Amino acid sequence: MMPFYYGSKARSVPEYLFLRFDEKTRALNAVSFAAMTVFSSGISLYALAKLLEIILHWNFDLSIWIAAGIVMVYTFLGGLTSAVYNEVLQFFLIVMGLSPLVIVALQDAGGWAGIKASLAPEMTHAWKYMGKADSNPMGLHFSSLLFGLGFVMSFGYWCTDFLVVQRAMIARNMREARLTPVVAAFPKMLMPLIVVLPGLIAITLMQPALASKGYQIPSTDAGGPDYTLTLPSLIAHYYPSGLLGVGITALLASFMSGMAGNVTAFNSVFTYDIYQSYLARNKPDRHYLFVGKLVTVAGILISVATAYLARSFNNINDFLQLVFSFVNGPLFATFLLGMFWKRATGHGAFAGLAAGTLAAAITHGLTIAEGKGGWISPLFPIKSGMGQAFIVAGISWIANFLTCILVSLFTKPKPESELRGLVYSLTVRTRNSESPSGSLLVPLAILLLAITIVLNIIFF
Amino acid sequence: MFQKLYKLNLIIGIFFLLLAVILLIDYLTDKAQAKSLNLYTGITFLLFGIFMCSINRNKNE
Repeated sequence: MMPFYYGSKARSVPEYLFLRFDEKTRALNAVSFAAMTVFSSGISLYALAKLLEIILHWNFDLSIWIAAGIVMVYTFLGGLTSAVYNEVLQFFLIVMGLSPLVIVALQDAGGWAGIKASLAPEMTHAWKYMGKADSNPMGLHFSSLLFGLGFVMSFGYWCTDFLVVQRAMIARNMREARLTPVVAAFPKMLMPLIVVLPGLIAITLMQPALASKGYQIPSTDAGGPDYTLTLPSLIAHYYPSGLLGVGITALLASFMSGMAGNVTAFNSVFTYDIYQSYLARNKPDRHYLFVGKLVTVAGILISVATAYLARSFNNINDFLQLVFSFVNGPLFATFLLGMFWKRATGHGAFAGLAAGTLAAAITHGLTIAEGKGGWISPLFPIKSGMGQAFIVAGISWIANFLTCILVSLFTKPKPESELRGLVYSLTVRTRNSESPSGSLLVPLAILLLAITIVLNIIFF
Repeated sequence: MFQKLYKLNLIIGIFFLLLAVILLIDYLTDKAQAKSLNLYTGITFLLFGIFMCSINRNKNE
């Protein structure tokens, strides 16, 4: 999808929707995306403040404001460039700072063999127990997982999430823009090793046979294990002073990077796609720059409010997935049709997005998972909040896809001359082998696919 | 001189070299068994920091 984003010279994902469809589709997407970024940013801020509260014993409210202040200083002064520079540095810190923990804790848990021997088999396999919804902890059939997560949420994240796409949009040329998501996918593959694996290690270490290791996941106020604190508690348990500081900094870096990325994306979308488009047209660049800085401050303040909302969720990852399922799920259908079907119209895209978002809300209102949702009527219980998010994403995508096709068939499409460079069939293909970076694209993509297949076979 | 601050590899390299120095000094002042993780991580950070500082991106720019 990168050739269409970059080739259209759009500065944001909603701006692409304006070029491809119309003003109302852009407005709807800009508003829903702006809401998603401040929710996501608030979740990172909540995690950041929680960490300061648990490890440094700071007051939670004070931690929220200090963390928000630090992110605001560097995004306010440096904008997108400083956020991206910090993200790169923070990425290395996260991987290098948490890798020793995985090595030491994995050894203590008896290696992968020890984990497999200690845990229920459905916790160490990706697909094997997905044949029936009641035989896996997520409560999902494999088709829901494949469609909701593997297709809608994953493609939605990589292809339509402005936070991700924005990094490629500021590339120096088309070849680097196309290479950006492919290169980014390699370090992303390390994330399960430093995020998911420590979770499995923590549960293994709590088994009676390993009680001598002296590790416990901290408890919630209700008495159950507080899984949100798994990583900080493992760091506190295994890291000596010195490295403990590096580990805490790595965690702080990961949350700050998530928050800064969302705030800069919120800034761009609000300034370009809402303020410049509807509230104050034809002003000098200096004016928009000033407004952008004000929006950064406003974005941080709204994030503080959403951080308190995130506090009410017992698992912040579930909350994050639910937010994505409401926005990225339906949006992916709009992009898929917009980029690959020249007959898709602005009315169709708008109706599809509205129907998709409405379907997401209705699905959430009719399903209940871990006490969340079911606000219309809790007709369909689902075992896990994450499973609920995948189902919400899948249904919202289908609603958007079908509505967009139906409405497009009855409305007039844009002339082909206005769609050149925006739709696949009307865009001139560029060769990838024109530069060293371009020639790397296909081999790297094949390598990624091969690694993905091998990992799925190993952890089947 | 300030242009060098835009070389991200250099900034990352210096950052990890500083962390390596702190971890290695901590280990050398207290060689307790529990601190051996600081030694191994410090050495890894040191090598990574040197590698990042030695990358020359000018050729590609």
